[in-house]
Amino acid sequence: MLSTIQSPRSLSRFHLPLRPLKALSSPHRSAATTTTASALIDQSAPPVSSPSSSQILSIRRSLLSRELTATQLAESYLSRLRLTEPHLNSFLHVSDSVLREAQEIDDKLSRNEDVGPLSGVLVGVKDNICTADMPSTGGSRILGNYRPPFDATAVKRVKELGGIVVGKTNMDEFGMGSTTEGSAYKVTSNPWDVSRVPGGSSGGSAAAVSARQCAVSLGSDTGGSVRQPASFCGVVGLKPTYGRVSRYGLMAYASSLDVIGCLGSSVADAGILLGAISGHDRLDATSSDRGVPDFATHFTSADTFGGKPLEGLRVGLIRETLDSGVDAGVTSVVHDAASHLEELGCTIKEVSLPSFSLGLPAYYILASSESSSNLSCYDGVRYGSQVAAEELNSLYGDSRASGFGAEVKMRILMGTYALSAGYYDAYYKRAQQVRTVIRKSFKAALDENDILISPAAPSAAYRIGEKKNDPLAMYAGDIMTVNVNLAGLPALVLPCGFVHGGPVGLPVGLQMIGAAFDEEKLLKVGHIFEQTLQGPKFVPPLVAGEVAC
Amino acid sequence: MGSKALVMTGGVISMTNHIFSFKNSFSRTIIIPKYRRVIRSCSTVSSGSSLPPPDVSRLAETARISLTPNEVIEFTPKIQQVIDWFGQLQDVELQSVEPALRADMEGDSLRADIPKTFENSREAMISAIPSFEEPYIKVPKVLSKE
Repeated sequence: MLSTIQSPRSLSRFHLPLRPLKALSSPHRSAATTTTASALIDQSAPPVSSPSSSQILSIRRSLLSRELTATQLAESYLSRLRLTEPHLNSFLHVSDSVLREAQEIDDKLSRNEDVGPLSGVLVGVKDNICTADMPSTGGSRILGNYRPPFDATAVKRVKELGGIVVGKTNMDEFGMGSTTEGSAYKVTSNPWDVSRVPGGSSGGSAAAVSARQCAVSLGSDTGGSVRQPASFCGVVGLKPTYGRVSRYGLMAYASSLDVIGCLGSSVADAGILLGAISGHDRLDATSSDRGVPDFATHFTSADTFGGKPLEGLRVGLIRETLDSGVDAGVTSVVHDAASHLEELGCTIKEVSLPSFSLGLPAYYILASSESSSNLSCYDGVRYGSQVAAEELNSLYGDSRASGFGAEVKMRILMGTYALSAGYYDAYYKRAQQVRTVIRKSFKAALDENDILISPAAPSAAYRIGEKKNDPLAMYAGDIMTVNVNLAGLPALVLPCGFVHGGPVGLPVGLQMIGAAFDEEKLLKVGHIFEQTLQGPKFVPPLVAGEVAC
Repeated sequence: MGSKALVMTGGVISMTNHIFSFKNSFSRTIIIPKYRRVIRSCSTVSSGSSLPPPDVSRLAETARISLTPNEVIEFTPKIQQVIDWFGQLQDVELQSVEPALRADMEGDSLRADIPKTFENSREAMISAIPSFEEPYIKVPKVLSKE
């Protein structure tokens, strides 16, 4: 049935994301589980509006002009969520208080009180980010019914600005995976082709934004877990500089690499969300106390750009990311993206990062080593699931054996090996030395260029099950992203084209890498790139008939 | 389990207690100075393949994960494959390169070392404990018979 859906080229006539979906929100509609994909595409097309694609800004305009209520907006997202969720499985938990929270915003508006800049914005939260009033399992059985006693700082800030947490999104267990097949609970599908993976580990967060089940979402990125799923699902993914966003309340996987990141259907949305969650937090000593710029000032409309809005911007195309091993379709789309940047006034130069290929093994040594330590807190004693035993060591061993999935067990064991006495210098220390080399080579490349570009992943989304039993094949897919985590730099992934595959083609993401704490430049360039890119809009077939932006 | 002590014996060199203390948000390694020379000596190994292969049962014991015999059989070749692949870093010339503990952007911004009150939800924390008898977290016996 998906094959009957229109080609992406025809999607560009739909624009406005936020019209309430009257047909979908009927209270008499039967359970979503019986709805088929074809029902989703039979909706009449919403009226066309300007190509401004920020859902957050559009929600704000609608609320402040009293054109729509927060309740109407929330209902339209929730009905879309109910219709699409049986096909996607993006969520592990959906909040039951969304409409009540929306009503509170409407009450405030009716009293003419000020409401925060994220008021009425439905935000999906990756399940490894703690929420006090919802389960937070990290995709793991070992935290089966866990409800944290606190909100993560990022979640707290979103709520303080009026954002509504719509639910907890599916993920590879503790972030260890690149497909979301590693969740202990369910496999999430890619909205562009439900037989394919959404990427991972923030696959649920990316699929949810792609299918417009929520406006934006929070993910986490240890080695590419925001950027690769953003690329696979055709959305914008932003990995901030290490230290830009507090990690308090993020379940630690590899603490020296972990960052909370943002996903949105436009650069503006990802940037506005980043602005909301950034800044120093006394609960995370690694969070930077630098000021946070107002990213929103850069999200101006396309008619303000002028002929060559990026005149003089030096862009380095990383040579090693276009080597063999990268799909020809992906390479070609990225070259087209480079040409588009050139048309906008950039100068494009190839740059070489000779240590690039060392990043992958170094990353996996560091991540598995740190995870073997970080995950030692899951022992069945203070929280999580416990297996009763006669003796304490058996309680630990059995609780962990029944709570962890295979990939997590293997990474803990690899990390235990790499950290063992005698092997430490050979693995962990060497990987840390490689990190120094990689940081320096990025520094040199970014001294000569304003930004660097590369594909976000060596391929578009592949089929569910395709790489499940081959760890090295799956790890190899992270080659484009892990180096950026090792260097701690910010990177923005935005959809830039399509390759063949699935019913209507599969989206490909362009990665833009910037200097530390220079998210502002990435967002500015990304926004101009996005607003001037010709061709089909990145709205997946699953929801193309009734929504677009 | 908090911090853990990894003790391994056998292989090319005799292992000693080597305590890795990883706490809170970033890692710190404590190498007992007495053994530093012994530990350093193995960094002269030039290829990953000359390090002994992983003993998965023993690693699982160290990591406190009770593996089934089938899991040991299933995991061993996969872990071996990845560790062999890790070994490629042995051939890289890194002699004079300082290790980077993390991508250190700013240095730590630690607060002053004075007591402060933090929000604390004692009830919520206690309700998450699988086995609790006021005022204790209950666990089975710690010492085994041998």
